[in-house]
Amino acid sequence: MADNGRKAETVTLTIDGREVTVPKGTSLLHAAESVGTEVPHYCYHPGLTAPAQCRICLVEVEGAPKLQPSCVTMAADGQVVHTDSPAAKRMRQGVLEFYLVNHPLDCPICDMSGECKLQDYVFDEGRERGRGREPKRVFGRDDFGGDVLYYGDRCVMCTRCVRFMDEVARDSRLTVVERGSRAVIDTFFDRGLEGASFAGNVVDICPVGALVSKDFLHKARAWDLDHTPSICPNCSHGCNIELHTRDNLVQRLKPRENQEVNGHWMCDYGRANYEWLNRPGRLEAPATGRGSDRRTADWKEALELLFGRLAAAEGDVALVGSARCSNEALAGLGALGDEMRGRTAQRVFRAPRAADEVPLPGFPLLVRRRDLVPNAHGAGLLGFQRCGDDGGEGGLDEVAAHGEVIIVLGDDLADQDGDFGANASLFVYLGTFESAAAGNADFVLPITTFAEEDGSFVNAQERVQRFQQGLRPPESARPAWLVLGALVAALRGEKTPDSAPEAFARLVAAHPAFEGLSWEAVGDAGVALGAEAAHG
Amino acid sequence: MAISVKVMRRPEAGRTSYMRATLKGMSLTFRHMVRPTKVTLEYPEEQPELSPRWRGTHRMEVHADGRPKCVACGLCPTVCPANCIRLVGGEDDQGNRYPIVYEIDEFRCIFCGMCQEVCPVEAIHVGQHFENAEYGRDRFVYDLDRLMEQDHPTTLLWDPSDPRSE
Repeated sequence: MADNGRKAETVTLTIDGREVTVPKGTSLLHAAESVGTEVPHYCYHPGLTAPAQCRICLVEVEGAPKLQPSCVTMAADGQVVHTDSPAAKRMRQGVLEFYLVNHPLDCPICDMSGECKLQDYVFDEGRERGRGREPKRVFGRDDFGGDVLYYGDRCVMCTRCVRFMDEVARDSRLTVVERGSRAVIDTFFDRGLEGASFAGNVVDICPVGALVSKDFLHKARAWDLDHTPSICPNCSHGCNIELHTRDNLVQRLKPRENQEVNGHWMCDYGRANYEWLNRPGRLEAPATGRGSDRRTADWKEALELLFGRLAAAEGDVALVGSARCSNEALAGLGALGDEMRGRTAQRVFRAPRAADEVPLPGFPLLVRRRDLVPNAHGAGLLGFQRCGDDGGEGGLDEVAAHGEVIIVLGDDLADQDGDFGANASLFVYLGTFESAAAGNADFVLPITTFAEEDGSFVNAQERVQRFQQGLRPPESARPAWLVLGALVAALRGEKTPDSAPEAFARLVAAHPAFEGLSWEAVGDAGVALGAEAAHG
Repeated sequence: MAISVKVMRRPEAGRTSYMRATLKGMSLTFRHMVRPTKVTLEYPEEQPELSPRWRGTHRMEVHADGRPKCVACGLCPTVCPANCIRLVGGEDDQGNRYPIVYEIDEFRCIFCGMCQEVCPVEAIHVGQHFENAEYGRDRFVYDLDRLMEQDHPTTLLWDPSDPRSE
C-alpha cells in the first residue's frame, strides 16, 4: 500500500442497519466483523488469499444485481449491506444443503466435532432434516504422511490446505484431484507431507474434520479441552500458542494469532514436542541431605535450613540455570548469587541447538530457530553464559568439580554422573525431575514447569512474552521464582514476591535491559524490548 | 374471632351396641375369604412387572460380531449430570473408533437416562432391572465387558408410538 503521508482513507457504509466506518480496502466480511456480525465463510482465511469459491459468505448489497461474496467485495462509501436478509439467508441455507449432499454427518466419531464450522453453520441456519434420497459417495480416508490424515467424505473443498502449502509453506504438495462431486484433495503420487516442516498447520485451518492430526486422533473431544494462552517452549522463536489440556495433561498445542511473531502458524517440530510436559517421575517433595542421609522435608523446614546454610556459606558460587526457565526464575537465581557472600564464579546455562534454522517462506517472520529452548535470549540478558555443546550436554566439568557452593536451576543434568558436586560445600538442586546427578545435593527442591506457572520468556526477536498456568503442578512443586524469591527476600530482609507480576517487577527494577516494562504492558501479545522506552 | 366448637352427640355410656359395626366388618372379612384380592408379591419366586420406563443399571448393545456399538463420541460423559462415566476413545484394528475404557460408576449414577437419550448410535441403555446386590463396593464400577454381558431388557425412555411426544 502506498502511503504518501496522507491520512488513511476511510469509507462509511451500512451493514444490517448499522453505520460503520472502516479503512478503505476492507472486505465486507471484516467490516461486518467490526459490528459484531460473523459472516459464515470456509475458503477465506485471514492468512491466505481469497478465491471466493465456497459461496457461503454471500451477502446482499443494495444495487448489485446478485449476492456478493463478502470476502472479496471491498467496502465502498454509501454501500448498504444486508447479511441477514431473506435472500442472503435462503442462499446460505441452499449452499449448506449442497455441502451436506455428500457429507457423512459422522460428527460422533469426527475429531473436529465441537469446533467444526460446518457443524456450527448448519446448527445455526441449516435445515432440520436432509432431503437427500440418493446414497452418499464414499471415499474413506487417506494418509497424507507426516501427522496428517485426510477424510475425503468430510471435505468441503475450500482448498485452504492447498493454498497454505502453495502460498505460505511454498511447497506445493497438495492439490485438488478430479472434479465435481468426485473432487478430493490429494498428494502427488507417492510423495506426501512427510518431512514438510509446517504441514501441521493445514489441520488447524481446515474448517471441517477433513484434515485431522494423527497424534490427536480420538484422543479428546474439543469441548473437553481447556485452552490456556502460552508460548511454545520448543525453540527460541516463542510462537504464541494455546495449551489444550484435559485431565491435567497437555493434549495438543495450537497456534495463537500474533502478527508480530508467528501470524496464524507454528512449526511441526514445536507442535509435536509436548509429551515431556506430561512425563511422570516428577520430584514430589523437598528433600534434604546427601546420599543415605536424604529425607523429605516440608517447604518451611527445607527453606529455613537452606537459608541458614546460604547465609553462612563463604565460598565462590557456581550458578547453573536453564533456558527452559522463565525470566523471573533466572533473575531470582542471579539475585541469589548476588546476595551471597562469595563471588559468583560461574553463571551458565546449557541449551540444545539445531544445525540450522527452518524459515516459513510465505511468512518470513516465523523461523524455527536454532536454539531449541524458549528462553536462551532471556538467560543471556540476565547474565547467564551458554556452555556445553549443541546437544545441550557437557561444559559443566568445572562446575561438577567446584568445591564451594553450587546452585542448579531447571537443568536435569542428564549427562552428568553421580560424582557431580561431590566436593561442593553446599549443593542446591531445583528441578522438575529426579536426576542421578542430584545425589550429592544437600537440598532437592521440586519446581514447576512453564506450563504450571505464570511467567515470561524473551524470544529471539528480543520480545518479552507472557505465558499462563495451564496445568496443576504436583502437590509440593512450587514456581522457581517463588522459591528463589523467598530466599533472596530473606537474605535482603524484605518481603517475598507473592505473584509472578511482582517477581517480574523486581526483575525489571534490577535489569536495565528490561527497563520500562510492566506485566500489564507485556499483556497477551508481548512487547519488544526497548520499544516501551522508545515510546515513553 | 371466637373458635367454634362442634359438640359431638354420643350415646350414653352402657347403652351402646357394637353388634351392627361388628357384622359390617366381618362381612368384609368373609367377602375376602370367598373372593380374595391378593396384594403380597411372593418375591423372589414371583417377579414384579416393571414399568416400560423403569431405569435401572446400564447395558451396552453389541454388534453381531461382538464389538460394542459404542463409537466413543464422548456425549454420555459430557451430558452425565453425576459425572459417573469414564471414557477413553481409541481406534481398533479395522480403523473404527471404539471405547478402550468405558466405565460407569453405578453408585454415583442417578439413573436419569440422559446417556441413553443422547447416544447417537443407541449403544448405551439404562435397563429394566433392579437386582444389583454385590458383596463389595468395588463391583459397582461396571466396565465395558460387564456392560456388554448384561442381558436384561432396556428401557423405553419414550412411547414408541409417539417418539417425539406430539
